[in-house]
Amino acid sequence: MTSSFVSKRAFLGREARLGLWLSAPIILIMGGLVILPLIVTVVDSFFRVEPMKMGTPFVGLRNYIALMTDPNVLQSWTNTLVYVVISVTIETLGGLAAALLLNRSGSARRWLLAIVILPWCLPPVVNAIIWLWIYNPSYGLLNGLLQSVGLISENQVWFNDRFTGLVLVSVVHAWRMMPLTAIILLAALQSIPFTLYEAARLDGATPWRQFSLITLPLISSGLAIALSQSTVFAFNLFDEAWILNGSSMDTRSIMVQVYMMAFQNLKFSLGMALSILAMIASLAVSALYVLRVYKETRFD
Amino acid sequence: MRRLGFYLGCAVLILWSLGPVYWSLVTSLTPPNALVSDQLHLWPQQITLEHYGKLFGATSTSQGNEVQSVWPQFSRALFNSVLTSLLATVVTVVIAAFGAWAFVRLRFPGRDTMFVLIVATLGVPAYTVMIPLYRIMIGAGLVDTYLGVTLIYVSAFLPLALWLMRSVYQAMPLSLEEAAWLDGASKLYTLVRIVLPLAGPGLMATAILTFLSAWGQFMVPLVFSPTLSTKPLTVLIPEFVTRNYVDYGLMNAAGIVAIVPPALLVLFLNRFLVQGLMAGASK
Repeated sequence: MTSSFVSKRAFLGREARLGLWLSAPIILIMGGLVILPLIVTVVDSFFRVEPMKMGTPFVGLRNYIALMTDPNVLQSWTNTLVYVVISVTIETLGGLAAALLLNRSGSARRWLLAIVILPWCLPPVVNAIIWLWIYNPSYGLLNGLLQSVGLISENQVWFNDRFTGLVLVSVVHAWRMMPLTAIILLAALQSIPFTLYEAARLDGATPWRQFSLITLPLISSGLAIALSQSTVFAFNLFDEAWILNGSSMDTRSIMVQVYMMAFQNLKFSLGMALSILAMIASLAVSALYVLRVYKETRFD
Repeated sequence: MRRLGFYLGCAVLILWSLGPVYWSLVTSLTPPNALVSDQLHLWPQQITLEHYGKLFGATSTSQGNEVQSVWPQFSRALFNSVLTSLLATVVTVVIAAFGAWAFVRLRFPGRDTMFVLIVATLGVPAYTVMIPLYRIMIGAGLVDTYLGVTLIYVSAFLPLALWLMRSVYQAMPLSLEEAAWLDGASKLYTLVRIVLPLAGPGLMATAILTFLSAWGQFMVPLVFSPTLSTKPLTVLIPEFVTRNYVDYGLMNAAGIVAIVPPALLVLFLNRFLVQGLMAGASK
């Protein structure tokens, strides 16, 4: 960096002062609205903070212990885990298939890409409402289609069954998030030199061997990014579960649980403790992916 | 054979991506009594603008009775959505355009620590800070104000915007700016007159991504925009459910209206959008 413009007059040079001025709004906004609240969240999770009760006594780990034994919290964890497993699977397999198709689509790619990316761009709430109507027990498209091909004989109330409900919420979430995985993987696919495939074809490698020996290893870093993205987003699933099935325990995600605790039952500190646990869990799982994928695909 | 598989795959992909949106559009154009028929029609038998009439009309008739339209609430929420999304986009892009350049081209104390810290907050989900934020906003009297909602949006989208703009500036040759400096232009002048015009596509991508995120927000306004004075479409539309009966035609019509701005962006500006996403995903 050139520093020939730095004047020696002031305590900080001109360049430094300009830099601080330009980053001042960032410091103020991020410091005041993200970092400070984050510190407050961590600190307050060791106190009892409830607007309906007097005082904020120090309670140590009691909030966290209470969370370990709360049956609603435990079920929300299970639900969230199911969401993560199902949606990450759909997004990764579907996203990979979409990326491979897009990569081969030539001149139509621009339009195909626009179509594929559309669900990701729409408000999650609107997506959920569209699917709510598709899942409607009496007049929904899903019942209608399944009946017309003879898979079911009468209308199903889909959210009566807990597991079906979890799958249906995951599908809506995966419908929205799959484009992101597809784009990340497409970017990775486009960075693979074409000559590698030509060489493999000359050596008589089958398409499957080309895929598993060239494509997969070379997109592994993209795959790691896509996996951790989709995991974090699935952990944070809120809109879809809330719109499709409200606060029902059957499909309550950990985020819905945080919302219920903090803003419906006004147990602020419990909600804060739970939100910290959720953040740690989602970051830990996504870090795990990144490490795994990197380790398995090292070339040395 | 492989060609056939390719086309089949594309057909499935298109059906999966557009099918639900198409179905919502059909629903929004179907008369209410046809919506509750046992017969499933994949194409609308007759088209009606009745549901849109309820959204946009002063009053409308439903099955012979005059009903109150939702236009007063709907128009207000639409206005709120547009205003908060645009405000958040403009503020985020302006701050990121100048800030990211400072992070790349200027040397000042704490620069690198600050950048790492800010990008690290990408890993902090919104709800982790939401409860203290709620108390801060109540204390500052900013709950249910445009300023409050905009500030929260900006704080949520700024890290990604900074990340994108930094990669844009890093890809620009320093020689351009150095030439201007040698001619005696100030650093700020160089940024505004030479660097920013060249960063157009990057700014565009950042703006689109920010707008889309703001437009789709639900949980933040659910907490911070409790009344119609700032309530956006995303919070209003689900409330059509909680009336004594669920008006799916109305909800789908409102949903289609909420889909229009993002759909237009995808249709006309997908180039920038995809570039932005690809840049955001790579290191």
